[in-house]
Parts: sequence; C-alpha cells; structure tokens
Amino acid sequence: MTASLFRIWAIALNTFREAARIKVLYAIVVVVVAVNLLAIALGEMSVSQHSRVARDFGIAGISLFGSLTAIFVGIVLLYGEIQKRTIYSIISKPLARWEFVVGKYLGMVLVLTALVGAFAIAMTAVLAYQGVAVSGAVAKALVLAWFEVLTVAAIAVFFSSFSSPFLSGTFALALWAIGRVTPDLRAAIASSESTWIKWVAKGALVIVPDLHVFSISGGDVDGQHVSVNGGFVDWGYVAAAAAHGALWIAALLVLACAIFRKRDFV
Amino acid sequence: MDVITVTDLAKTYRTPFRRRRVDALKGVSFSVARGEVFGFLGPNGAGKTTTIRCLMGLCGITGGKAEILGAPVPSRAARQRMGFLPEQPYFYDYLTVSELLDLGGRLAGMTAADRRARADQLIVRVGLDHARGLALKKFSKGMLQRAGLALALINDPELVVLDEPMSGLDPIGRKEVRDLILEERDAGKTVFFSSHILSDVESLCDRVAICVGGKIRDIGRPRDLVDATTTETEVRLALADDIDAEVVAALAARGARSRRTAGELLLTVAGGVDVDAVLAAAHAAGGKVIAVTPRHETLEDLFLRRVADQAGAREVLR
Repeated sequence: MTASLFRIWAIALNTFREAARIKVLYAIVVVVVAVNLLAIALGEMSVSQHSRVARDFGIAGISLFGSLTAIFVGIVLLYGEIQKRTIYSIISKPLARWEFVVGKYLGMVLVLTALVGAFAIAMTAVLAYQGVAVSGAVAKALVLAWFEVLTVAAIAVFFSSFSSPFLSGTFALALWAIGRVTPDLRAAIASSESTWIKWVAKGALVIVPDLHVFSISGGDVDGQHVSVNGGFVDWGYVAAAAAHGALWIAALLVLACAIFRKRDFV
Repeated sequence: MDVITVTDLAKTYRTPFRRRRVDALKGVSFSVARGEVFGFLGPNGAGKTTTIRCLMGLCGITGGKAEILGAPVPSRAARQRMGFLPEQPYFYDYLTVSELLDLGGRLAGMTAADRRARADQLIVRVGLDHARGLALKKFSKGMLQRAGLALALINDPELVVLDEPMSGLDPIGRKEVRDLILEERDAGKTVFFSSHILSDVESLCDRVAICVGGKIRDIGRPRDLVDATTTETEVRLALADDIDAEVVAALAARGARSRRTAGELLLTVAGGVDVDAVLAAAHAAGGKVIAVTPRHETLEDLFLRRVADQAGAREVLR
C-alpha cells in the first residue's frame, strides 16, 4: 500500500509540475484578479455596498473560473499524456493504471487548490482594501467553491478517460451547467405536466452531480434564504456538502479507472 | 529458463466508426531465452509494435497468452523486472534527464539514494553528462533516444525491450546503441528489440524472428535461417585499355550480369557456374583478377522474400 501511495504521489507531483508550465493558468489568475479589481470599481459606484459587491464577485469568480479551469486541466493533463505518447514510458513501468489516473487527479487537486488559494488571496486583498475582514461565511463559501472545483475536475477526468478533448469538454461543461440548476430541475418535476420532462429531469438528477449545493449564496437552503453577506449555512452543512462532493469524486474516479484499465494505447 | 514466452498471441482491433475488424496479430508464438539478444523483424504493419505493446501492457490481448520472467502479461510483476524503450519516445519535455530518471526510479520503487546513484551512472553511460541541466525539449532526436535508453535501464532490469532503438539515429548513434545492447548482454541481461536495420540485427542477435502479416514466418539463429550455399560470385577483373571489344564481350557473356567501368569488368557469375573456368578465360584474355567474392543469402534477402511471399498471397486473394 505504501509503495502504491509512493507511485501515486510521484505521478501527482509530476502532474503539478506539468501544469505549472501551462501559461493559460496564469492568464486565468490574471483574469480573476481583474474581476476582483472590477468589484472594487463597481463597489465604489454603489452606496455602502462595497464589501457586498466584492464578496459576491469574488465567490462567483472562484466558482466560475475555478470550474472552467478544472474542466480545462482535467482534459488537458490526462488526454495530453495519450496524445503526446508520454504515457508509453510511464504505463510500462510497474505502475497500475488506476494509480496513474488517481495520481493525475491528485496532481490536478494540487494545481486547483493552488489556483483557488490564489483567487481567495485576491479576494481577501480586495476586502482588506475596503477595510472588511474575511467573515466565517466567506470562509465557508470558499471551502464550498473549492469542493465544487474538485468535483468538476473529477467529471472532466472521467470523460477524458475515454473520449476526445472536444467531446470531454462539451460533456463536462454540460454536466457542470446542469449540476448548477438542480433546484430548477426539481421545480420542473413538481410543476411540469409533461411526463417526459419529468423523466428527463429525474434522470438528470440521478446521473448529474448536484453542484448547486456548493453555490448557495443568494438562494434558499431548507426554506431559509442564505447569503455570504448575511445569514449563511453552518459548518455542518459545509461538511455534508463536502462529503457529497467526495462521494461523487470517488465514484467518477472509480469509473474513470475502470475505463482506463481496458483502454488500448495504440 | 525462458524470459519471454508468447503462445498464440492474437490481437484484434475495431476501427473507430465502421467497427471493421483488423487482425493485427494472428497467433504469434515465440520464446526468448535468458541472456539472449533477440531481434524482432518485420515490415511496417507486420505486428511488431503491436506485439511489443501487448507485452508491455499498453494493449489488451485478444487471444493466446504471454509471460515475462514467469509472470503473466499484463501484470506489474512482469514490468517490475524489465525496461522498455518505445518507438520514437516522447517524454515530459520540461524535465531534465536527471528528473526524468528520478521519476522512472520512483515508479520502479527505488530509494532516493539508489535513484541518484543509478541516474548519475546511466547519464554518463549514455553520453548525456554534458546535458544534465538541459530541459528535454532542447534535446536532439539522438539525445532523446539515449535519454529513453537510460530510462529503460533505470531499474537495472533483467530484460530490456527496445522498439526500433536505431530508428532515426546517425551512424554514431547507431553504434552507441549497438554497444549498449552488447554491454547489457555481457552483463547477463536479455535484450529483445525490433528493428528495420537488418545489418544491425544480423550482427547483434543470437536469434531472430521474422513477423509478416501478424504471424511469425521464421525463427532461429540468423545463420540457420539463411541458405549458406553460394547464390552467385562477383568477379572483378582489370583489363588492358586496348583489349579487343570481342574478347570483352566473350568474357561478359560468361556472367549472368556484367558491368564495364574504366579499365575494369565486374562479372556476376550465377551459382552453379564453374568460377575457375571464368577465371581461366580471363587470364587467357590478358585480364588480371582483382577480387572474387562469393555471395550467400543474407537476412535481408530472406526478409525481402518473406515480404514478397506475403504480397503475392495478397494478390492471389484479390
């Protein structure tokens, strides 16, 4: 078991090193910093709403750009190994294929954690500029956004274990979009008169990870309105959402490993 | 004990959209003994690389079975004691050769001290000492091939599998790879390699297998596979400048083929023809014998014949 962890860690570190060479990721960090600076500008225009705008922009930016980045790295870092044929030299070493997939995902977790950390630092700097301390609500929202990003990365890894980058990107983007609107799907089931719409919505709820549980600010949880700027969820909710994400990540990785195990590299 | 045992290995692919069946391997069988240098020959599309990929666990096996060092293929145990150089190897181009070997050593379960010591030794051995700090993206093709060889040898494997190791190398690079293969054999290791360069195969290999159309057509020691009888003899004669053209024509007629150059006549005498009689006639005409070279069938001749047989069979089927 220790030897297995050692090999997984070797792949993870190499993946992190590989990702650190992708210039697009630095461009994304610049965009997120720019979004936070925009939040300052927009905050100045609103009356006594500076910190609200900064928090809303910051959390939304992390969720949006973090998820898009997760799809990008999830596809590029796994499919790239096959496309560039670097996988031949690696898989022929005494390494199980599942160790390779898990190692790649773990490397992506390191990259995405560093990115979410950079986004969070940018948001904290904006809030500090406005003289606002990071509240518990913001910390919880950041943890939720981080888990959303990690879940989206697992979705991308799953698709890129068997399909091309274009299809993987399309499927992952579709699942991310559907996963964000699960309350609307539930509303459709409750209100729609069409049987097939009910069935499609029910099916989507089963096969698509519920990503809405990670981006709840401005919505309702158990009938209560929650906002990062006011009353927010407790840490128990965050732990439950994290467990939900972890289960989806585990399930997606198990499926990806099973598919990857059968794959021919020709 | 055999290091590689392949029995009735079959591999069938399906094309992506039309799902057409492609039989890449149709029951390949051979074995490689410990300490052998074994050459795996075949034209493009013969199934060489597919066989190697199946052995390395890169492709699933459709039928038959294979074992490496007593462990079934594919398995981690099989890969633990072997090294592999893929055809036209690609590596993480942001790594240096030391970092690449460190990664390979980590995956092979080596300790940090062993990885460092072995990497240092191999970098010197493959002649990359001057490029230690250079990223692989700045390496030439030959340097990449040498880095790949070092990676294949990082875990001091009992078996080394090389897919077209001389491909794209200049004569110096080819000689270095040849020397490395012989060094491994002298160290008691088994080397299995595929190649298109038949002269290298002939000079290096204890045994060879010729794969054509997904099947093994010949297997054995190179000298046992080819016909040792003289197929033809080349006779090179020096002739006086003022020699009568009719005499030259008479001499030329004794060969199956002839070529006249300044002051010389090159005769190719078919096997079975009395060469001594040709030489006597040349003496009588005032010619001087420069060289007499008997020609035997080479591995290349055998290889080309097998490929021609296969092409002929395809024509008949059409």
